[in-house]
Amino acid sequence: MIRTTPLHSKLAAALIVTSALTAPALAQDTQPAPAATEAPASPATTDTAPDATAAPDAPAAAEATPDAPAAPAAAEAEAPAAAPDAAATGATAATSPEDGATDAGATDQAATGEAGTAATEGAEAAPAAETPGATTQVAAESDERAPQPQPEVGQDWPFWGGDANAQRYSPLDQITPENVGNLERAWTFHTGDLPEGAAIGKYSPENTPVKVGDALLMCSAMNILISIDAATGEENWRYDPKVSPDAIPYGATCRGVSVYTAPELPEDAPCKTRVIEGTVDARLIAADTRTGELCQDFGDSGQIDLWDGIGEKVPGWYAVTAPPAIVRGIAVTGAQVKDGQAEDAPSGVIRGYDAVTGKLAWAWDLGAPEAMKNGPPEGETYTRGTPNMWTTATADEELGLVYLPLGNSSVDYWASNRSEAENDWSTSLVAIDVLTGEPKWSFQTVHKDVWDYDLGSQVTLIDYPNGDGGTVPAVILPSKQGDIYILNRETGEALTPVGEVDVPTTGELEPDTLSKTQPVSEWHTLRKDPLQEKDMWGFTPIDQLWCRIQFRLSSYDGFYTPPTADKFWIQYPGYNGGNDWGSIAYDADAGLIIANYNDIPNHNRLIPREEADELGIKPIYEQGNQGANAEGAGDAQAGSPYAINVNAGWRNDVTGVPCTAPPYGGIRAIDIKTGETVWDRPLGTARRNGPFGIPSHLPFTIGLPNNGGSVVTKGGLIFIGAATDNLFRAIDVKTGETVWSDVLDQGGQANPITYEVNGEQFVLIGPGGHHFMETPIGDEVIAYKLPKG
Amino acid sequence: MAYASEPHSRPRGHWATTILAVVVALLGLPLLGLGAWLIVLGGSWYYGLAGLGLIIVAVLLAQRSMAAIWLYLLVWLGTLGWAYWEVGTDWWAQVPRVVAPTVLFVIILLFTPLLGRRTREGAL
Repeated sequence: MIRTTPLHSKLAAALIVTSALTAPALAQDTQPAPAATEAPASPATTDTAPDATAAPDAPAAAEATPDAPAAPAAAEAEAPAAAPDAAATGATAATSPEDGATDAGATDQAATGEAGTAATEGAEAAPAAETPGATTQVAAESDERAPQPQPEVGQDWPFWGGDANAQRYSPLDQITPENVGNLERAWTFHTGDLPEGAAIGKYSPENTPVKVGDALLMCSAMNILISIDAATGEENWRYDPKVSPDAIPYGATCRGVSVYTAPELPEDAPCKTRVIEGTVDARLIAADTRTGELCQDFGDSGQIDLWDGIGEKVPGWYAVTAPPAIVRGIAVTGAQVKDGQAEDAPSGVIRGYDAVTGKLAWAWDLGAPEAMKNGPPEGETYTRGTPNMWTTATADEELGLVYLPLGNSSVDYWASNRSEAENDWSTSLVAIDVLTGEPKWSFQTVHKDVWDYDLGSQVTLIDYPNGDGGTVPAVILPSKQGDIYILNRETGEALTPVGEVDVPTTGELEPDTLSKTQPVSEWHTLRKDPLQEKDMWGFTPIDQLWCRIQFRLSSYDGFYTPPTADKFWIQYPGYNGGNDWGSIAYDADAGLIIANYNDIPNHNRLIPREEADELGIKPIYEQGNQGANAEGAGDAQAGSPYAINVNAGWRNDVTGVPCTAPPYGGIRAIDIKTGETVWDRPLGTARRNGPFGIPSHLPFTIGLPNNGGSVVTKGGLIFIGAATDNLFRAIDVKTGETVWSDVLDQGGQANPITYEVNGEQFVLIGPGGHHFMETPIGDEVIAYKLPKG
Repeated sequence: MAYASEPHSRPRGHWATTILAVVVALLGLPLLGLGAWLIVLGGSWYYGLAGLGLIIVAVLLAQRSMAAIWLYLLVWLGTLGWAYWEVGTDWWAQVPRVVAPTVLFVIILLFTPLLGRRTREGAL
C-alpha cells in the first residue's frame, strides 16, 4: 500500500495541477460579483443598455422572476437583423461625439435615452436625435467605423482564436491522420523570458502567437513583444516593456496579442499594421509589426496606462493577461482583478480605445454607465469591486459588437453586499455596441454567483444551422459549470433550450439573497452527475476512507450547494470545471464543437472574520502582493463577513492525493445539430505519475487536469497540449483517438496554432508550463512540420 | 540450499510473522476506527468490517495460525465483490479498493510456509 501512495501523490500532483489550472483560471477569472439576479437578468440586461444606464440600480427585471427561466436571456428585443447596421450607424452618430469630447455628454444622453426607450429602435432614434449639425461628421464617422474585411485564417493565424470568429479552425489539410506520424520539430525558439528571483513560482505564460504574413507575433510571460520568422524561428525584433515582477497577479501570463491594420493610414505609414498587447502592469502597448517600434500616435508615445481612473495603484491587483478585441477600429479590454481580496477592489470597467490614436472611445462601468462613460470625473474612480473580464473578448466586426465574458464581483463567495447592478451583470456574456459603448444584450449563466464561476472561455461565433437549411448568426458560450449555450448574436436570445432549475437549497448564511433557481443548458453540458460517497478516491483504502468521511462531514446537496462556514462544503464542478480560457474549437465542415474540460470538485469553507484575522489572512493592499497563491486558498474578502478557503481540486488534507476518482479532465466532440456527444475521451496519460514520484512512462490514459485549448484542422486532426502529462498530441477528429504525440519538456498549457509558409503546414505550441498546474516552466515555442519530400 | 536444509528456521519465521501481524494490525485499526466513524455518519460499512477482519487476521498471525490465511482470503474476496458492486469495471476507481489489499494478500501468502511449519510444530 505504501508503495502505491507515490502514485497517488503523482496523481495528486496531477490533481493539484488541475487545481492549479483551475485556480489560475479562476484567479484570473474570478472575480465574483454579485450574481445576477435571476434570470431576467437577461431581459433586463438586454435591452438594457438603456436601463442599465439610466438606472443602474433598478435592474429591471431583476427581481422579477427568479423562477422564470432565465433562459433566454437575452432579451433581444427585437432588433433582428436589420438592426445591426442601423444600430451601427445610429450608434455611430452617438459615438462620434467622442471626437469632440465635450459634446459627448449630450450626445450620449440623447442616444441613451432613446436607446432606453426602445432598445431596438434606439439606433434609429439616436441618429435622429443627433441630426442637427452633425450630419457630416456622422457620415465621416460612419465610414471610418464601417465594418472592415477581416483577415482570413489559413496561411495566417491572424487572431488569437484563429479566425475573426474565434473558431480555432484551420482550412489547412496537408497534415492528416495518415501522415501525422511523420510530424517532426522544424525549429524551437526561446523567448528568453524565464522567472528569476521573486517571480519564481509565478509563471504561467500561456503564450499563443498569431501569424501574420511572414511573422509570428507573440508576447512572453512578462509581456516582451516578440516577432519571429514563421518559417525559421529566427527573431525579427523584440520590445521589452520592463514589467516589474511585483505586478504579477495570479501568474505571469500574456495569452496573446492582437494585430490591427488601420484602413485610414497610408500603406507606408509607421504602424499601418500594429500589434497591441495588454500587460500585467496594466498598460496597453502598440508597436509596428514590421519594426517593433512603439506607435507614437497611440496614447502616450505608444502606451496607455490602464490604471488611469482605477484608483490607488496596488501592484498585482489589476492586470491584463488577454489580448484586446478590436472591433471597427476600437480596441476593447477588460482586466483581471485579483480575486477575493476586498469588496473595495479595482473596477471591472471595460474600456474601448481608438486602435490608432489610443484615445478613450468609451468606458462601460456597469455600476455607473452614464457617469463614467468618458472616464471618471476628476478625483473619482470607476465603480469599485464590480465584475470584471479577465478572459478574451470576441469581436464581431459585422454587427459592431464585442462579446464580453464577465466574471464575478471581487468578493466571489459572499453575495449579500453586492449592488443590484453587480447582480444584474455578474457572470454574464454581455454584447456591447462598440460604436456607443452601450450594452445591447446580456445572458447570465449564474445568478448571485458565490462559486467563482467566472466565464472563462472566449466565445466562438458561428453560423448556426436553424433547421431549415439556413443559418443564424450565433455565438457559442461555454461555462465552467460545463454548460454550452448557443445564442443569437444580434439579440442574445437562446437558440438552444435553456432551463431554469430549482437549486437544492439556498443554505443558512444568505438564504434570502441567493437565487432559488439557476440556469442550465438543456442542449449540452460537460458536467457529470453529482458526487456520491463511492466517488471518493485515494491510493489505498485508508486514504479513500478518510475522503469518504470528509464527504459525509461536508455540506453537499449537489450542483450549486451554497457556501457554509461551520463546515466545509463541496463545490462540484469546482471553479476549475468545465471549459476555461483555452476555449472551444469549432469545425463547421464536420459540424462539431471540440471542447476539452476539467471535471474536478473544490472543498471550500467560509472563514468567519475573527478567525481569518487570527490566521492573518489579509487583502493584497495590506500584506502586499504575495502572488501565485491558489485562487481562493485563504483570500480575505475584506468588507464581507467571511474570508474564503478553497481546497482547489479537493485533495486529501493528509496525503495530498485527490479525494475524487479520475478522470479529472477530458475532451469531447459535440454534434452542432443535435447537441449530442459524438465521442468523449479522458485527456492525459499517467506517464508523469508513478510510485515514489518516478514517472512511470506508462501510456495508460487517466484523464488529467488540463488548461489550454485546441485547434481543429480540415486535415481531420485536433492538436492540443493542455493536459499535465506534458504531451502535445494530435487527435483524429472522427474517432477521438490520439494518433500522434510528442513529449514536451514543459507543460503545454497554451493554445496551439497552425499556419502555412512556402506551401508547408506548420503546427506550433509554446509550452511555457504553469505554476499552479505544477508543470515545468519554460520559454520554448516549438514548430512542427512534415519532413520535406 | 542452506536455508532449505536448516532445521532451525523457526526463529526467523517467528519474528517475521510477528512483524506482519503488527503491520496488519496497524492497517486494520484505522480501518476499524475510521470505518466505525463512517458507519455512524451513514456511510459504507465495508471499511469497518474489513478493519475488523484485518485485526482478527493479525491476531491469528500472532498465533501462527493458518486460519489467518483463510480469513484474509475471505476478506480479500469480500473486498473484490464489494468493489465490483460499487464501481464495476472502472479501473481507476478500483485502484484504491483492490490494489493495496491484493498486495497485502500476496505478502500474507508468502508467509504460508512459516505458518504451516508453526502449525506442524504446534501439533507436535
